[in-house]
Amino acid sequence: MDITTFTSNKRFQIWGISLLVVLAALATLPQWVGSYYVVLLTFILMYILITVSWTIFSGPTGYMSLASAAFFGVGVYTSAILFPMTGAVLPLPLIIVIAGIISFILGLLVGALTLRLKGIYFAIFTFGLVLLIQRFLLWFEMNITATRGRFVATLDNNYIYYVMLVIFVATLLTAYFIRRSRFGLALQSIGENEEAAAHIGINVTLVKVIIFAISAVFMGAAGAIMASKLIYIDPYIAFNPLLSFMPVLMAIFGGLGQFYGPIIGAAVFAYLQEFLKTEFPFAYMFTFGLVLVMVMVFMPSGLVGMIQRLLASLKEGPQEKSTPSWTLIFSFLFGILGGLVSWFIFRERRGARVHLKVGGVVTIIVIAFYLILLLLAYLGELRSGYFGI
Amino acid sequence: METVLDVVVAGLLLGGIFALISIGLSLQYGVARVLNVAHGEFIMIGAFVTWVLFEAGVNPLISLMIVGPGAFIIGFILYQAMFNYIRIKAPSLDAFEGNSILAAFGLLFVIQYIALIIWGSNIHGYTYLASPIHLGTVTVATNRLVTLGFTVVISVIFYIFLALTRLGKAIRAAAQDPATAGLMGVNIKRVLAICFGFGALMAGVAGVLLSMCYPINASMGLHYTIIAIVVVVLGGMGSIVGSFIGGFILGIVGSIVTYFDPGLSMVAYYLIFIILLLVRPKGIMGK
Amino acid sequence: MWKIIKKYALPLSICLILLLTVIPGCGDEEEEPAVTVPVVTEPEVTEPEVTEPELAPGQPDDYYTRENIVIGGSRPLTGANSIWEEVGFGPIYKMWIEQVNADGGLYIEEYGRKLPIVYKDYIYDDTSDIATMTRQLERLMTVDKVDFCLPPASTASLFAAAPIFNKYEYILLGAEGGATTIMDMLPALPYFFGTLNYSDRYQIPVFADLCLELGIEEVAMIWIQDLHGIEYSGVAGVEFANAGVEVVMSKSVPPDVSDVSLLLLEAQDSGADALCMFAYPDQNFLIIGTMIGMGINFDAILVGPGGNIAAMPGIFGPNIEGLMFEGAWNTKSAPGAQEFYDLFTSYYDPGIGDWWGHILYWGGLQFFEQAIVEAGTLDQSVIRDLMATKTYDTVLGPTWFDIFGDGGGLLAIECHAGEIGQWQSGVPEVIDPPNIYGAKRTAPPIYPKPDWPVAE
Repeated sequence: MDITTFTSNKRFQIWGISLLVVLAALATLPQWVGSYYVVLLTFILMYILITVSWTIFSGPTGYMSLASAAFFGVGVYTSAILFPMTGAVLPLPLIIVIAGIISFILGLLVGALTLRLKGIYFAIFTFGLVLLIQRFLLWFEMNITATRGRFVATLDNNYIYYVMLVIFVATLLTAYFIRRSRFGLALQSIGENEEAAAHIGINVTLVKVIIFAISAVFMGAAGAIMASKLIYIDPYIAFNPLLSFMPVLMAIFGGLGQFYGPIIGAAVFAYLQEFLKTEFPFAYMFTFGLVLVMVMVFMPSGLVGMIQRLLASLKEGPQEKSTPSWTLIFSFLFGILGGLVSWFIFRERRGARVHLKVGGVVTIIVIAFYLILLLLAYLGELRSGYFGI
Repeated sequence: METVLDVVVAGLLLGGIFALISIGLSLQYGVARVLNVAHGEFIMIGAFVTWVLFEAGVNPLISLMIVGPGAFIIGFILYQAMFNYIRIKAPSLDAFEGNSILAAFGLLFVIQYIALIIWGSNIHGYTYLASPIHLGTVTVATNRLVTLGFTVVISVIFYIFLALTRLGKAIRAAAQDPATAGLMGVNIKRVLAICFGFGALMAGVAGVLLSMCYPINASMGLHYTIIAIVVVVLGGMGSIVGSFIGGFILGIVGSIVTYFDPGLSMVAYYLIFIILLLVRPKGIMGK
Repeated sequence: MWKIIKKYALPLSICLILLLTVIPGCGDEEEEPAVTVPVVTEPEVTEPEVTEPELAPGQPDDYYTRENIVIGGSRPLTGANSIWEEVGFGPIYKMWIEQVNADGGLYIEEYGRKLPIVYKDYIYDDTSDIATMTRQLERLMTVDKVDFCLPPASTASLFAAAPIFNKYEYILLGAEGGATTIMDMLPALPYFFGTLNYSDRYQIPVFADLCLELGIEEVAMIWIQDLHGIEYSGVAGVEFANAGVEVVMSKSVPPDVSDVSLLLLEAQDSGADALCMFAYPDQNFLIIGTMIGMGINFDAILVGPGGNIAAMPGIFGPNIEGLMFEGAWNTKSAPGAQEFYDLFTSYYDPGIGDWWGHILYWGGLQFFEQAIVEAGTLDQSVIRDLMATKTYDTVLGPTWFDIFGDGGGLLAIECHAGEIGQWQSGVPEVIDPPNIYGAKRTAPPIYPKPDWPVAE
C-alpha cells in the first residue's frame, strides 16, 4: 500500500485530475445555482453517500444489509437531542462526529450479533432491527419522556451542503481505499466462499464486523446533518424503513460490478424520483414501481452492466439465443395494465381531478418498454440459462 | 383466572389472523423462493374486492370463492411471467432472492397505485357478523371466531393436500431441492408458479376474512407483510405447520404483552423475532 | 438475427398499435363528468398595448405579462397521509379554486383586472414523507416562485413547513393539523394562520364541560403512540382534572395495533362511564368494530379523527347512533353551513365529507380570498397584515384570527362551528354545552348511548 504506486499510475492520474475537477465544480456550485438546487444536490449527495457506504460491506460480500435506516436514524436522533431548536448543546461538527461514533458502535454490535446469519436471514434481521429500534424509541418517548416531537435548529442550505460534501468525499475515499486494500480483497473472498476465505488465513469475523461498522459511520454522520433539513423529528421520521431499501435499490440499479456503478445508480435514481414526484406527481408510484420491476427483469446487472453488455454486443454483433415466451406475455400484461391505468386516470374520478399529463407519461413508458424489448431481442439479450438445473 | 382465560382466547383469535396472513408467504418464500413483499397488497386487494362485493349485496363468505381463485390466477401468471424470468437470468439462488425482493417491491408500488386510483385513499369497511358470542365466561366477536375457524380449516386442507396429493409431493420436493426434483421429472417451472399462486390465493382469502374485522384502506398492506415475515421466520420458511404454530405463539405473546402494556406489543414482536433469529435462524419447524 | 426480429416484430407491433389506438382513444371517450363543474370562462383581459410598455407609478413589473395567479403545494397524493388529500383539505382547495375561476378569477387592484388561478401543474406529491415535503416547498418558493403555497397535510408536516414558509415569507394557511406545541412557536412565526380546531383549542375543554353536564365521572382513554395521541391524552389529563372527572384508564397503542379486545375488557372492568379514543381512523375503526363485535358499551364514546368522516354511516350502519366525535359542525351550526354543504355536494360525492375541518378550511379560504382582494396586491406581507387585523364575513359568520404576540394566529374560537359532535339518526349534530363559547349546540346529546347492535 505505497501511495506512490498510485501516483505514478497514469490511469490514476487521469481519474484523479477529472475527479478533482468534479470536486471543484461541486464545491463552487452554490455560487451559481439557486437555493433549491443546492438542497436537491444535498439530497442526491446523501443518497450517493448512503449507497456507497452500503456497497462497502454488502457489495463484495453479498450480505444484503437492510440496517441503513437504523444507522441514519441514529444520526438524526443524535442531532435531535444535541442540536435542538432551543439551542445547541454541542458544536455541530462534534455532534456529527458523535453520531458517527454511535453508528459505529451500533454497527459493531449488529455485526457481532449476526455472525451466524447468512443470506436472507441477515437481511431480515437487519430490517427487524430498524423496526425494533423505531418502536422501542417510540414507546420510550411517549411513555417515559412524554416528548411531543423534537425540533432541530435550522441551518443555512449552503452550510448543510458543504458539510454533506465533506462527508461525501470522506465516504468515497474510504470506499475506494477499502476496495483497493487487503480488506477489500478479504471481503471479496468472503463473498465468493466464506469457508475457503477462513482456511487461507483471513480473520473472517474481524473483517466482517469492522467493515460493517465502518460503513455505518458515514450513514450516521449524514443523518446528523440531514436532521436540520427535516426540522421536526419523531421516531417514525428518523427511522424511515424506506431508507433501508433505497441504497439496495440504487446500488443494484447502478450495478454492483464497478466502483462507480452505485454512484451513477444513486444519482440517476434520486434525480428520477424527484423528477417524477414534481413533474408527474400522480404517476409517481406507478412509474417508480414499473421502473423497479423492469430493472430487475431486464437489467439485473444494473445500468452500468447493461451499457457494457450492449456495447459488447454492438461490437461483436448479436448472438442468437432462445427466448422464453413468457416474457412476451409478461410484457403484454404490463401493456394492458398501462392501458387500464391510463384509462382510469383519464376518467374524472370523484373529487380528484387528475393530470392529463399522466396519460402521456404512461403511454411513453409503455412504448419505451416495447422499444427496449425489441432492441434487446435484436441484440440477443433475452437469453436463457437456467441455474441449478 | 378469568383474566388468564381472556388473554388466552384473545391470543388465539389474534394468532389465527397472524397464521392466516403468513401461510401464503411461507409457501411463496419457502418453495418459490420469492420473499414477496407485495404479499400485503394481495391481502389489500382481496379485502377491497370483498368490500365492493358486499356493497353490491354479496356475502363475504361467498366472496371467498371468487377472490381465492382470482388471486391464484394472478399469482400464477405473475410468477410465470415475471419472477420466473428473473430466476432464469439470475446467476445464483442468492442473486435471485435479492432481485426478486426488489421486483416484488416494485410490484408493491404498482398494485398500491392501482388500488389508489380505483378506490381512492379513503378508509372503508362494513359490518358483518358483528355480534358477541358468550362461551362460558368469555365473550368473543362472531366474525373473529369465523375467521379463526376458516384459518384452521384452510390450513388443514392445505396440509392434507401437500401430504397426500401428487402435486403436493412435487411441491415438497421442489422445496427441498429444486434441481434434483427437476431431474426426477417434476416440471419445476410450473410447480413453483403454482406455489406462488397458492400464496396469492391465501393472501386473497386472508384479505376477505380480515375485511370482516378490520377497516381497510389502500396503504394497509405493508403492515400485514411485515407481520407475515415475522411469523414465517418464526415458524420456519416453507412450513405450513410452522407458520400455523408461529402465528399462535406470536398471538398469545402479543396478548400477554398487551395485557401489561399495549404500547409495547409491537416491540415485543420484533424482540421475539430478533432473538429467535439469533438462537434458531431456521425457525421452529425449519430444517 | 432477422429471424428474431421477424419473430417479435409482429406481436410487438400489434401491441403497439393496440396501445396507441387505445390510449389516445381513452382521452376522446372521456365521459362528461356526472358532476357539472362550472366551465372556466376566459377572463376579459385587456390586451396590453405594445406601444406603451412603460409602467405607470404603482404598477408591478409584470403588469402587462401576468396572466394568472399561481398556487402550488406539496400534498400527500400517495402514502399514509393520502386520505387527507382525498377527504381533508384536498377537495376544499380544489373547489375554492374552481369557484374563484368560475367567477373569472381574483380581482387584484394593482393589475386592474381579474386574474384566474392556476394550480394543477404545481401540486407535487410529497409521498407522505417530510424530507420530500420540505424540499418541494423550497422548489415551489425559489424555483417556481408560486404566488401562494398550500399547506402540507398532517401536524408533523405543518411543524416542519412553518419555518420554511416563514423564511421565504409565504402565508401558511394551516389546514390539517394543529397541536399545543405550535402555540409556543407562533410569536416567532408571523406567517402562520391555523384554521383547524384541536385538543385544547377547544375540543377537550368542551368535552370536559360536557362530562360535567351529563354527569360523566370516570373516563377511560386509549391513545396512539404519536404526536396526536400524546397531545390529546396530555391535554385531557389536565382538563379532566380541572373538571373533576377521574381518568381511570390511560393506555397507549402502537399505530399498527392488531387487537384491542383485552384493552376494551379492561376499560369495561374499570367501570368508566366514557371511553375516549385519541387515535387515527385505522385504530378508531378497529376499536369501534371490536366493541360492536364483543358487545362492549359505554355511556359515552368519543371517537377521534375518523369519527367525523361522512363515510361512518356506510361502515357501521345504524351502530353509529350516539357515537360522539371530535370536530364538529353540521348544516345548522354556522350561518353559511347549509349553503356550503349544498355547494360541496354539488361538486362531490357526499361520502367524502368531513364533519370536522371542511367548513373551517372553507371559511379560512374565504377569509384569505377577501384579504387578497382587499390588499389589491400579491405582496404576502401586505396580505398577512390584513389577515392579522381584519374581520371578514365568511361561511362561519364574522371571522378573524387570534394573533399571538406579533406573530401568527389561530382561528378565533367564536368562529368555530362547534367542538364535539354526535351521530344522531345518521346525522351529525353539534352537542357543545349551550352555555359555553357561543351556543353552537344543534341538538341535545343522547345519553346514555344505546346498546349495540342498534337496530335499523
